[in-house]
Amino acid sequence: MAEGGDVEWELSKENIQPLRRGRAISALHQALSQQQDAINQQRQAFESELRMYDGDDPLDVWDRYIKWTEQTFPQGGKESNLATLLERVVTRFTEEKKYHSDPRYVDLWNKFAENCPEPLDIYRYMQAQGIGVTQASFYIAWSEEYENQGNYRKADQVYQEGFKKCAQPHDKLLQFHKALQARVSRQVMMNVEEDNSDDEPKQPERVCLADLRHKGKKKAIAPVSRTGSAIRSISGGLQSGGVPVLGNTSNRQLVIFDESIAESAGPSERKMESWMAPPTSRAKENEQRPEKWCDVKMPQKTKFGHTVMAPPPPKPTFQPFVEESDQPPTMTPCKINPAVNTVLSALKPCREETPLKRLQEHHQQQKEAESGKLQEQSMYCKELLLSGATEFCFEELRAERHFKKMAQESQEIRGQKDQASASN
Amino acid sequence: MTSTLKGITLKGSAELVAEFFSFGINSILYQRGIYPPETFSRVTHYDMSLQLTTDPKLKNYLTNVVSQLKEWLFECTVQKLVLVITCLETNEVLERWQFDIECDKSAKESSAPREKSIKTIQDEIRSVIRQITATVTFLPLLETPCAFDLLVYTDKDLVVPDKWEESGPQTIDQSEEVRLRSFTTSIHKVNSMVAYKRTDSV
Repeated sequence: MAEGGDVEWELSKENIQPLRRGRAISALHQALSQQQDAINQQRQAFESELRMYDGDDPLDVWDRYIKWTEQTFPQGGKESNLATLLERVVTRFTEEKKYHSDPRYVDLWNKFAENCPEPLDIYRYMQAQGIGVTQASFYIAWSEEYENQGNYRKADQVYQEGFKKCAQPHDKLLQFHKALQARVSRQVMMNVEEDNSDDEPKQPERVCLADLRHKGKKKAIAPVSRTGSAIRSISGGLQSGGVPVLGNTSNRQLVIFDESIAESAGPSERKMESWMAPPTSRAKENEQRPEKWCDVKMPQKTKFGHTVMAPPPPKPTFQPFVEESDQPPTMTPCKINPAVNTVLSALKPCREETPLKRLQEHHQQQKEAESGKLQEQSMYCKELLLSGATEFCFEELRAERHFKKMAQESQEIRGQKDQASASN
Repeated sequence: MTSTLKGITLKGSAELVAEFFSFGINSILYQRGIYPPETFSRVTHYDMSLQLTTDPKLKNYLTNVVSQLKEWLFECTVQKLVLVITCLETNEVLERWQFDIECDKSAKESSAPREKSIKTIQDEIRSVIRQITATVTFLPLLETPCAFDLLVYTDKDLVVPDKWEESGPQTIDQSEEVRLRSFTTSIHKVNSMVAYKRTDSV
């Protein structure tokens, strides 16, 4: 029959995630016919376009890339890299104020939030950053999340906030707000018809499920997904409490100012150098020069004025606390010692941390970079190599530039020829 | 007895096709959420469970349409049945389900039953309805409250009955069209197709 091609999508209908905007049937056919080469080529093209783009609307490439990804990987999943892409684009333009009320950018944020374990946090973050606060779609997505969790009052409040901010398009917001109200009132009607007391047996059940203990090192994810969307807000609180303390401390970027260290170092420095010049105006009391600290020794004087080195300290009677990451790896390089193992496992929480946390970290880093506080500075175009979903190598970038140049040159030559033939 | 099992007459064919439309339209209305899901009840037909509306007004309307359709099918004067889904507020056409009907008019003259068992026909119908259900995988979400309308294309010389009115084709501009399966009773052949607003991507 002529409809042989159409059967393809029906055979794998369970593997197609429905999209809000629907799917283009041609893209679906292409995706399902598994033309891996073509897909890889297109992806590579997008990846290099991301890096080589030098117009004034870099978001456009990202937008097209992500839409293409959605259409090309109907089953979603890891190889689509959608989550990574969304996170990248969202972090990349957080600072660009001109995109904050761009509907495309706000849509990307909404998609990003939907992909996150705690979408509400993302929406709150967006509001705090002022991203999408004038866009109706932002409030709609936020409210829908509340509605999914069964919090109708909050869902309504979000719309009120949207009206207050005069989010555009106003009609759309109004229409969705009406639809929400209709749904809620229908829900209420149905609940009245059924039974009022059915809330009570649910309450203990929630606590039971959220309180499931986990065995072993693995983080217990099971109860969260088991309790369903309505209970997510409760289990979320518990979950964050259950994260191992180690993970929290190692992620922290806070530098705690220690008064005692700074004071003890201050006078010793002053003793060593005489006042050659008046202190510069920006010199602060507690500022100290960066220098190597590990093998600095304080000269000590005896009663007789001889300078002696400090005697080796006696072995302490207590076990001194040693930061795990400070353990010198040269101690026993031939053996796998437990210290190394703990270092490896300390990385794990990094991966488990929520996207929002990464986002905030990135934000903080950028701020630091602006104020010139950042210690690290990469002397290669790290941005370009890592910007997409996959990593590029230098050669690829160079080849891309080379081809671009070639194309330009050949075009110029052709242009000259045309001119020459025209003048003839 | 053998003739009712093995063969099919024009009358039987018209009934089968009309029945398909009744279930098909109900399925679409349910799947696309035009009416709230709690106003539907489940029945088993064609060896599969289907949703039928319990809304009295809608039921009445559909019975009227289907019985009228049956008449036209019997006369072989109907060409197309189209279910149009429009946005309630803007009246914009969002989806268009089109069923092309090819009638074998020679069946009107000779009343001899055709050779096709009712089971095979029902199998074919089942796969069409299954496919209608499966279309949710690529159809866009209908975000606004929607209304539906039924259009019937007939031969030109037909008198328009009471309560029916003539209308335009209500097509979608910039639409994506997907052909679905077809089935035939050997007298009526029904080709199905769905058109929806194209996504603004790629």
